[in-house]
Amino acid sequence: MILLAALGNTSRAEELTEEEAALQLHGFVSQGALWSTDNNFLANTERGSLEFAEAAIAVSKQLDSRLRIGFQLFARDLGPVGNYNAKFDWFSIDYRWRDWLGVRIGRNKLPYGLYNDSSDIDAAHSVVLLPQSVYSITSRDFLLAETGVELYGYKRLGDFGALDYRAYGGTIYLTLQGGPGITVQDVNVPWIAGARVMWETPLAGLRVGGSVLAGEIDADLTQANTPLNYELHDAQWITSLEYAVDPFLFAVEYGRGYTDTKVLQFPPGMNEAKATAEYGYALAAYRALPWLQPTLYYSMFIPNVDKRIGRESHRYDAAAALRFDITPSFLFKLEAHSMRGTAGLDPALNDGISPAGLANKWYLFLAKTTVYF
Amino acid sequence: MRALVLALLAAFAVLVVAPQAIAEDVRMRVIVHKENPASKLSKQFIADAFLKKRTRWGDDAAIQPVDLGARDGVRAKFSHDVLDRDVTAVKRYWAQLVFSGRGVPPPEVGSEADAVAYVAKHPGAIAYVSSTASLDGVKAITVE
Repeated sequence: MILLAALGNTSRAEELTEEEAALQLHGFVSQGALWSTDNNFLANTERGSLEFAEAAIAVSKQLDSRLRIGFQLFARDLGPVGNYNAKFDWFSIDYRWRDWLGVRIGRNKLPYGLYNDSSDIDAAHSVVLLPQSVYSITSRDFLLAETGVELYGYKRLGDFGALDYRAYGGTIYLTLQGGPGITVQDVNVPWIAGARVMWETPLAGLRVGGSVLAGEIDADLTQANTPLNYELHDAQWITSLEYAVDPFLFAVEYGRGYTDTKVLQFPPGMNEAKATAEYGYALAAYRALPWLQPTLYYSMFIPNVDKRIGRESHRYDAAAALRFDITPSFLFKLEAHSMRGTAGLDPALNDGISPAGLANKWYLFLAKTTVYF
Repeated sequence: MRALVLALLAAFAVLVVAPQAIAEDVRMRVIVHKENPASKLSKQFIADAFLKKRTRWGDDAAIQPVDLGARDGVRAKFSHDVLDRDVTAVKRYWAQLVFSGRGVPPPEVGSEADAVAYVAKHPGAIAYVSSTASLDGVKAITVE
């Protein structure tokens, strides 16, 4: 609301054209459908689900040629998550001092990999679900945005292409729900920090780079009337390559995540767990017609590299998608996934059955339409 | 189920070999304010300006790009020749930035006459028009 008040008239617009100084209003509305042959994934997909909707309004105003403020309200419904409760997706004061150095203060989307900060923007991608091994839609509340400061810049390197870089530090405000027999008293993220550097190579359309992210989550909860204090340290990295020259798009990413969870007030010997996750994918898309873009990708997710055997220890996903751009502001997508493994599937969506007890081979089908402006 | 997946993959294969639409044969010029000292600009500079990767002229004045509408044939030609991507891909680029809080696209005007008037009015402006458009108050530059 403070930002809204600041969106009023400003006397600093002398460098801007009337069109640039105008309040910018953009938005999108998406509705999807999911159906799986086995296993409930994201929602009650075995019986088919329409609980797959998103809407957002982005408002921003350029105050002068270097200073911009804005925010986005976002609401979604995805199975048991969201329930159309609107939240501030991002809000920021953005001062772009030079092209090679700017600063954003507020709630900023996290630059992790090629697409994390745009992972929930259906219009920005050729697929309904980005590879879930890297861009887990269920981790959106954890890994989409941080509240703090971000430095960013873009620097041409003459004949050597350009560098696009972002670095940030801050916190994440989390709301966690408990489970059966678990009550969450308090959750906080004392800190999160990270950076992404992408090199736009001299070969037009080819960019390569890497991202790192680290943070800590502290949680106080009660499990079976026993008070517990969790302290989770998380560090992740990912390397990225994208080659985008119309009509082709190729993307490959590979990364690892390290978690160290300490449980205080717990029997000695059972109070620390470490795990290294592995994830990656390869994606190819081709704009066959101005209004049609088919995409294929293969994605793999290993939650713990020390335990790869067993359906609950991996998830391999081969996907094919079609994107139809019906008008410049209206699109429709169809998508099919052939899955092997059940790592990461939620027992709460599957009648309490753990991933080890779910079907190993299963298929997921999605359709989604989006209007945006 | 396997048959359905195979059918989808077959449809995908057919689409992949479908012919790419050929851009309309339109001649296009890039224009700037008549007092802008630039007489030629690199394609890279212009692309960076319209994608807002570069926001300043050499004298530190703000670059003020303006686009034609998304369905305009001259815009399609400009996107293909200068931005190396079609208009849909450019819209996708801006969707990523707009909805992640990192920027907004250049303003759009409804006609070439409006684009020329916009550039004539604003010293930092840059636009593109067809080769037959009137250039009152602006000048065309060479694209290297």
